[in-house]
Amino acid sequence: MDSNLFAQLSALGSSLALLAGIALLWRRSLASYVQAFKWQSLVLAAMFFMVGYFGHDPELYAMGVFFFVLKVIFIPRYLRRLEQRVGAERESQPYVNIATSLIMSGLLVLLAYAVTRPLVAVSRLPTRSALPLAMGLIFVGLLVVVTRRKALTQVVGFLVLENGIALLAMLGTYGIPLIIELGVFLDVLMGFLAMQVFVYNIHGTFESMDVEQLSQLKH
Amino acid sequence: MNFLLLLLPSLLSALLAILVRPFRSWVSWTNALVSLVAFAAAFNFAGHAVTGTAVSVFGPGEFLRADGLSALLMLLVTGVATLTLFFSPGLGRQTRYDQSQLRRYHIFINLFIASMLLAVAANSVGIMWVAIEATTVFSALIIPLRLTKESVEASWKYILIGSVGIALAFTGTVLSYFDFVALSGRVENAMNWPVLRATAPLLHPEVMRISFVFILVGYGTKAGIAPMHTWKPDAYGESPSSLGALMSSALFAVAIYAILRWKMVVDACVGGHFASNLLLAVGLLSILIGSLSLVLVRNYKRMLAYSSVEHAGLICLGLGLGPLGVFAALLHLVNHTAAKSMMFFLVRGIEAKYLSPLIKDVRGMLRVMPWSGGLFAAGTLALIGLPPFGIFISEFALFRAGFSTQHHWLMGTALALLAVAFVSFISQLNKMLYGPVPVDVSVGEVDGWGWMMPLLIPLSVLVVLGLILPAPLAALLNQIMEIVSK
Repeated sequence: MDSNLFAQLSALGSSLALLAGIALLWRRSLASYVQAFKWQSLVLAAMFFMVGYFGHDPELYAMGVFFFVLKVIFIPRYLRRLEQRVGAERESQPYVNIATSLIMSGLLVLLAYAVTRPLVAVSRLPTRSALPLAMGLIFVGLLVVVTRRKALTQVVGFLVLENGIALLAMLGTYGIPLIIELGVFLDVLMGFLAMQVFVYNIHGTFESMDVEQLSQLKH
Repeated sequence: MNFLLLLLPSLLSALLAILVRPFRSWVSWTNALVSLVAFAAAFNFAGHAVTGTAVSVFGPGEFLRADGLSALLMLLVTGVATLTLFFSPGLGRQTRYDQSQLRRYHIFINLFIASMLLAVAANSVGIMWVAIEATTVFSALIIPLRLTKESVEASWKYILIGSVGIALAFTGTVLSYFDFVALSGRVENAMNWPVLRATAPLLHPEVMRISFVFILVGYGTKAGIAPMHTWKPDAYGESPSSLGALMSSALFAVAIYAILRWKMVVDACVGGHFASNLLLAVGLLSILIGSLSLVLVRNYKRMLAYSSVEHAGLICLGLGLGPLGVFAALLHLVNHTAAKSMMFFLVRGIEAKYLSPLIKDVRGMLRVMPWSGGLFAAGTLALIGLPPFGIFISEFALFRAGFSTQHHWLMGTALALLAVAFVSFISQLNKMLYGPVPVDVSVGEVDGWGWMMPLLIPLSVLVVLGLILPAPLAALLNQIMEIVSK
């Protein structure tokens, strides 16, 4: 009974996280991206506590707190401030239009089911049925990075990809060893701060965040 | 203790650069001199490995570990790092950078070096990943030292492609840890490489195959293996040339190291051919893209980048060709590190003299800068694999390994592509060495010939390795082969 509830909750949480990831593909304004990322991170932080409770591992509570502070409070706040400084540019013409990217995301989730089949077969954890959703979220994050043109959208796509990996690690292994997880948080933070500097650079030198203009370098 | 001597110098140098503001040139002198300590420590590790004493470990949970393979990489990284710090802007020579740029440069270049050393000294594949990811951030922050449209573009592409790629490598790492946990429950040191390697035969091949694909794509992005190489020409072309030297030789070697570590785990689980065939495929593709791009190239730093793509391909081929091939690949890695770093140090002077990144603007180098021109010619000849330089020997060994394992078509194609690279490299070199000296370029070396002396070190490494295989290096490589084929 207990593990049944656990399995259902993890599938529910992962579906919500994936849905928030796909939301990036049909919205256009940066504010809605930040909102989607924030909700997704909130779901993931709650799942850290949930997995910690059912999996009897108090370490995950600590990770949940870290995750919450970093990805629900700190990063969204900085993203909003960035948006105010560089102006709200809308993702008006992505490389791949919205309808096509939604179809692609559907196909990518199917691909995720195919890729993770051996994983689901090998695992005996109650969380195993949600593994394909985590892999799907990784692929959707990748899709956002590849098909969107604004530098800030690409940053959010990268953060969603990171969330997908965190979800995969949480569901598949009940969390990787704490020291490595801390290193990963540190890397995400540093990477985000560096990207933020570069967004300012792009805005300052090109007076736009459209990476379409980044095409000076050839041969 | 030895580990502290290896890692602390670069960390303390970064701290020094942070504390001293505004920037003073004695900071960069101190950084350069202190880095010799790390080099000595790496030498010490290599000595331990050669004499066959027990593998050194350090810290809680055997956090750091240095076997023969790590020791070789430590030598390469600290060797190039020391040279780089001596050739960095800010040692009193003329420079285009102002005080705050120099300060930023010295902070991040030392952090960059420290994270590369941590990557090769870490016992856990998770920490190795964390360190390699950190290299992306630190090196990216140095590329736009001078804000131009080009440098901003290059740094953005580099950090985005690099971060996404390396995130995929982490997915692969998580997947194999997942498999470990599914097999034997959660163990704190499960990500330590020796534990992983020992458990590998029991892991599920179907999971490890997926895991290795992610890892190869991820670390392959860092190594600049085609088709994930697209950031490479931009980043090398726009970064300060001393950073280019570190990225093209040391960082590249670290990424190859990560792939080789994982290949050993996957081979022990899946059997020999899966990882090897993947490496052969991406290797040939890299040689193809590298050599063909060399035909079209117009910028000499980008020329060196495409040559890196080509050599990355050769090394991947070697890793996929069984024990003889791995031996050749490691030797090639050493040679490539020496040759590529020397070329980037020379590029610094060429840039300062001709003030242009384009090959068509660089004419009559032999007359303008006889020392730099001569060394540049020697480096180019080394890179295209002519004797008496080491790359000739390692490429010869590599092709022999390929033909002896019956990969005739593959090696034949690779040879033909190397010939293409050979011809285009020679024609570019001719344009740069000879021809009329542009009117606004004065004759004479940029920094005097005394500054050329340190460059004789990589050159002599190349020449020595072209003539003999010194006994200590042979012993170290054999030691590594024992780890690989265990």
